Amino acid sequence: MTGVVALGWGSELPATTITNEDLAPSLGGDAAEIEAATGIRVRRRAAPGAGSSDLAVAAAGRALAAAAMTPEDVDLIIFATMTPDIAFPGSGCFLQDKLACRTVGALDIRAQCSGFLAALATADAFVRADRTSRVLVCCGEVHSSALDYTPRAATVTPRFGDGAGAVVLGPGEPSALRSCVLHNDPDGFERFWCECPASRHFPARMDRALFDAGRHYYVYDAAGLAEQAREALASVTGEALAAAGVRVDAIALFLLHYVDPRVAREAGLRAGLPAERTLATAERAGHMSAAGLPIAIADALREGRLRRGDLVCCAAFGAGIAWGGAVVRV
Amino acid sequence: MNARILGIGHHTPERVVTNHDLAAVMETSDEWIQQRTGIRERRFVAGDVGPADLALPAARDALAAAGVRAGDLDLVLLATLSPDYDCPASAAVLQRHLGIAGMPAMDVRNQCSGFVYALAVGDAFIRSGRARHVLVCGAETHSTGLDQTTAGREVAVIFGDGAGAVVLGPEPDPHKGILSTHLHSEGRYAEKLMVEAPTSRHWPRLTEEMLDEPGSRLWPRMEGRYVFKHAVTRFPEVVREALAANGYTPADLDVFIPHQANLRISEFVAGILELPPEKVFNNIQRYGNTTAASIPIALHEACEAGLVKPGALVCLGAFGAGFTWAAALLRW
Repeated sequence: MTGVVALGWGSELPATTITNEDLAPSLGGDAAEIEAATGIRVRRRAAPGAGSSDLAVAAAGRALAAAAMTPEDVDLIIFATMTPDIAFPGSGCFLQDKLACRTVGALDIRAQCSGFLAALATADAFVRADRTSRVLVCCGEVHSSALDYTPRAATVTPRFGDGAGAVVLGPGEPSALRSCVLHNDPDGFERFWCECPASRHFPARMDRALFDAGRHYYVYDAAGLAEQAREALASVTGEALAAAGVRVDAIALFLLHYVDPRVAREAGLRAGLPAERTLATAERAGHMSAAGLPIAIADALREGRLRRGDLVCCAAFGAGIAWGGAVVRV
Repeated sequence: MNARILGIGHHTPERVVTNHDLAAVMETSDEWIQQRTGIRERRFVAGDVGPADLALPAARDALAAAGVRAGDLDLVLLATLSPDYDCPASAAVLQRHLGIAGMPAMDVRNQCSGFVYALAVGDAFIRSGRARHVLVCGAETHSTGLDQTTAGREVAVIFGDGAGAVVLGPEPDPHKGILSTHLHSEGRYAEKLMVEAPTSRHWPRLTEEMLDEPGSRLWPRMEGRYVFKHAVTRFPEVVREALAANGYTPADLDVFIPHQANLRISEFVAGILELPPEKVFNNIQRYGNTTAASIPIALHEACEAGLVKPGALVCLGAFGAGFTWAAALLRW
């Protein structure tokens, strides 16, 4: 059974930047209030008509180029998102077509903010199981078209951004995924969810009453989740380090992935992580759910903050309630 | 270490909807539906029942048959195209229904091929040593997303609600259990069979117009001739691929469980592969097309009917929206 190495990383952030000043007229309040409520200053917005797979095409192209590979070389696509191009089929199918890959499998998974770690574990499992060879893992989110741009969502909408990240994995040593621990606890998942369309609503999963009540918008209970997020991010970081058998000193960069970057930072302090080697993924361009972690890794590599072969420790917490941690050789 | 199906279960809602029932609410007929699809009746939920609700009894039966406690699962996978909620994954909803927490739960969204894709994920987790026991469900509540008027009849008469589940566990004998899995996609045909809305590529992704427009983008759309043409090519292709990967030919196959898309497709594929009718299990007549749920429902009924004997070479095959297609070869 062979290990799995990361062959190349890529990211894509759309060109359009949306500031808090841009959002304030529709959400109410001013830019300072938005930042105080969310910890976010700017986020990116996908061009009109661009879906998650369109952002993923650019990220995947960069990852493949970094790996010195072409789309023809890909044996399996794994796409993680919570904002697919259309309700179905999955975004992986669109990506397969847009990249002009062979007719390889295009697995779409839904694990919310832990989507990247779940996709990484799945890719690692497929390669180790000798079921496939080179896997393209893509995570893309277009949150902007799902959000409520009215004052009732003033403390939710500014938190989210659009973007995509990708990594190409293939057989080799030393293994990229030194450890990966994944968890889900459904208790109280209504604190961070999007209810509709809901197939369990009889007789129709979406109708005018649900629409008028805004039940197709994100619900996020900041106060109700903060402490659980701090605790889970801190403990799962320890779990991932222990499972990999590495110490804090061996980690080049800690990436804490949560919708509120301040809560993520507090979790880092609680876990005793060095602040200068810690990033909260939402700090730079808002929270991008499945895409936040691979974007942060690709950007850190491009900017020289990470070098190939460095060890990164990721921790994610979000809707589900899903959380996880991983030590990754980038 | 191979993965093997340790236990299996299925569940369908009690409410039977016959072709005659549909003919009462839309312009269609029992003869028209049977001739084109082979479907006589399907099950529809009668209240607020989502795929995770349907999956619960199926999962409980599969766990009991496997002798595995729900709390001992290492991973919960649910394949669906009609999730309980927009977010989170229905696997998390099922986890809640089972009263368990801690292990990861994720959805696989690969439409009609969803169960085989999810089975491949579970297989990979077990073969790689990442998990010992994995729950793999396919579950759908289609009926709350169908246009049950004459405008939607082409699609509405096809689909049904239901769920199936298997529990996977380790199998030390390399010649038993899941021998191989084969996954494919071709996104150039993604819009030949789809539900468009909500769509992240539209601003906003869900609008009042989408609720009201005739032929709403919230309803499924299908170009049936495209689907048929590609299905009868890709289905036999991937079954042959799975057999060849293990040194077999169609003549070696004991049981073929095709995704229950359309009885005419299943019959056509069996003909191409020269499989005698007794080796091919179909139950679409009673359930319609339950997409990700159809294979585990059919596999369980085939087991209950005594068709799947120990040592049997079993192929699960699927084709559907995406387009995606997939097969798994198992030694029972």
